[in-house]
Amino acid sequence: MRFVMRFLILLLILAFTGCRRDDGIVRLQLWNQMLPEDRALLESLVKSYEAIHQNVRVEVIYKETEDLRSSFQTASLAGLGPDLIFGPSDQIGPFATMGFVRSLEDLIDAKRMSELDSVALVSFRGHIYQIADRVGNHLTFVWNTKLLSHAPENTDEMIEMGREATKDLNGDGKVDQWGIVWNFTEPYFFIPWLSGFGGWVFDANGKPTLNTPAAANAFKFVKSLRDQYKIIPPDCDYNMADVLFKEGRAAMLVNGPWSWTGYERGGVPFELARIPRISATGLWPAPMVSPMGYSISANSKGKRLPEAVRLLEYLISDSVQKRFVSEIGVIPSSRVLRADTALLSRPHMANSLAQLEVGKPMPIEPELRAVWDAMRPAYQSVLGGTMSPENAAVRMQKDAENKIREMNE
Amino acid sequence: MNNDKRFAMALIIPAAIIIAAVVVYPFVYNLVLSFSNMSLLHIRDWQIIGPRQYEKVFTEPRFYGILWKTLLWTVVNVTFHVTIGMALALVLYEKVPGKKLFRTLLILPWAIPPVVTALTWRGMFHYEYGAVNLILAKVLHQTPIQWLNDPVGTFAACIMTNVWLGFPFMMIVALGGLQSIPHDLYEAATMDGANAWQRFKTVTLPMLKPVMTPAIVLGFVWTFNKVDIVWLVSNGGEPADSTHILVSYVYRAAFNLYRYGYAAAFSVIIFLILMAFSLVFMRMQREKATPA
Repeated sequence: MRFVMRFLILLLILAFTGCRRDDGIVRLQLWNQMLPEDRALLESLVKSYEAIHQNVRVEVIYKETEDLRSSFQTASLAGLGPDLIFGPSDQIGPFATMGFVRSLEDLIDAKRMSELDSVALVSFRGHIYQIADRVGNHLTFVWNTKLLSHAPENTDEMIEMGREATKDLNGDGKVDQWGIVWNFTEPYFFIPWLSGFGGWVFDANGKPTLNTPAAANAFKFVKSLRDQYKIIPPDCDYNMADVLFKEGRAAMLVNGPWSWTGYERGGVPFELARIPRISATGLWPAPMVSPMGYSISANSKGKRLPEAVRLLEYLISDSVQKRFVSEIGVIPSSRVLRADTALLSRPHMANSLAQLEVGKPMPIEPELRAVWDAMRPAYQSVLGGTMSPENAAVRMQKDAENKIREMNE
Repeated sequence: MNNDKRFAMALIIPAAIIIAAVVVYPFVYNLVLSFSNMSLLHIRDWQIIGPRQYEKVFTEPRFYGILWKTLLWTVVNVTFHVTIGMALALVLYEKVPGKKLFRTLLILPWAIPPVVTALTWRGMFHYEYGAVNLILAKVLHQTPIQWLNDPVGTFAACIMTNVWLGFPFMMIVALGGLQSIPHDLYEAATMDGANAWQRFKTVTLPMLKPVMTPAIVLGFVWTFNKVDIVWLVSNGGEPADSTHILVSYVYRAAFNLYRYGYAAAFSVIIFLILMAFSLVFMRMQREKATPA
């Protein structure tokens, strides 16, 4: 009996202490939400880093964007989680507000930071919390070169070309090929149209600005594409838009850089262009531009912190960024690499940069979550025909204000 | 304490420690949070503010609408799960050709990960290209339905997906129960002149009750809390946030709007609803089973 008791106690001790190893090796965790190709490259780069830094082992863990955000919140609250986290800049506002990420200005070499595009230094309330290795991640206009001869310059031309491209190919009375598609369910995809009509989500003081003539006009425009010109499908989510374009059943598409590799691999003949200028206003639609990069968790402490800093510096170095540019085609944050015309001559890079020029930085205020939550139902109600564009604008604003108040209680 | 008791304690203690760590502690912590102001701005410096979060939940008109929808979702789902599951179990219990093949095929929905099932069904409900509308239009010559653009259509789509996912569990439980019913009872009933319906009503149903009651209670609790199907089929409560059940609403409050105190109070209320249901249902079943 005594033996059994001792054995059980030993088991318990081993169970609770077995995870702490003091073998001189510093173990870091890096959470990311990269696409498979990016992830494979990241893992190989981390392996090269480990080969040089024998005392460091890095566990690279993938999580889908929303899962990454919620898991990091939960883990941080418990005093756990990764040392480094890679993701879009809009998560920085909430993370910094909740104290889950460290300010980086005193940790990262100032000279290195000065070599990066200023938008890559993602700051919130006076402190830098994320350093991006890439900028962009913005929506762009994608067009099928087999179905169209050129990209439309403005929305009038886009509608005209869309009408010609929208076809019932098999004569069954149903449209088989659409003029233009995008994800109608997410307000993120509505932002280019909203900005093209002169609107935006926040004013200079960070207050939501959704009840504006611009929002109502943008809603009317999208609705007209479906109900009046009939060049977009009655209902289309991300997957549907993606599949229609991949199968050559959509002449034009609005999508981001994460999708282009899929189209290249699928053999879709395509080119990029700026989202056409809004004919009614003469403005270029401005998609949200978001840097993506690395932050250090507030829970990265002791021996792990200096190693996490060293790893971050490696991951934003020119040599690593160069690999991502040449192998994946991201727009680097390094000024030196951005000046390298040969490096940026990859297919589609010039057109993506042209779109980037007219984009607007994605706000990083935590209140953006409330804005998305307020916009989504209104946008869907307009497209569902259950709400007028004007009423939708009023409701969005009211909902956004309510949700922000609830968030900040 | 004698050696046997010590030995028993030694075996129980590790499990008890783990249960305390993964069930009791989170439950108590959630209970404490439900009386706090923990939110985006008070994530580390949160304070106990009394029952204010509960007041907020009960004074919010939306709560009652979502509660009603959740009850409807649960009752409809569990009814279909039990009815279809038991019907199929009765068929499979008989000597039917290809019984093993059918049993395997019918368990398949249970074996497929719910995420895959939910996203596949979402695709099948697409207005233009989905299989459901294609069958409606081309085979049944009916007008296609805007499943995912309409609140009722989306809710119906969520229910259909979950019915598909849930009936195999009830079928397996019922099959197990059927196999434990002594055949003599059926023979006796037949000799007394009972027809098939009477045999089902007087032998099968009462004998299945002890097996099906816990399964129904479990099914009710699981379905009430089934966030993944509603979330994935309706794409997070679409259209216009009209397809939420209580748990998906709580998820949004906690992880989208960082209202942790409020979400904790909401989840305690969900817990109390489910506990009350389970206690009442079990007691009713016990009273029915015990002759006065």
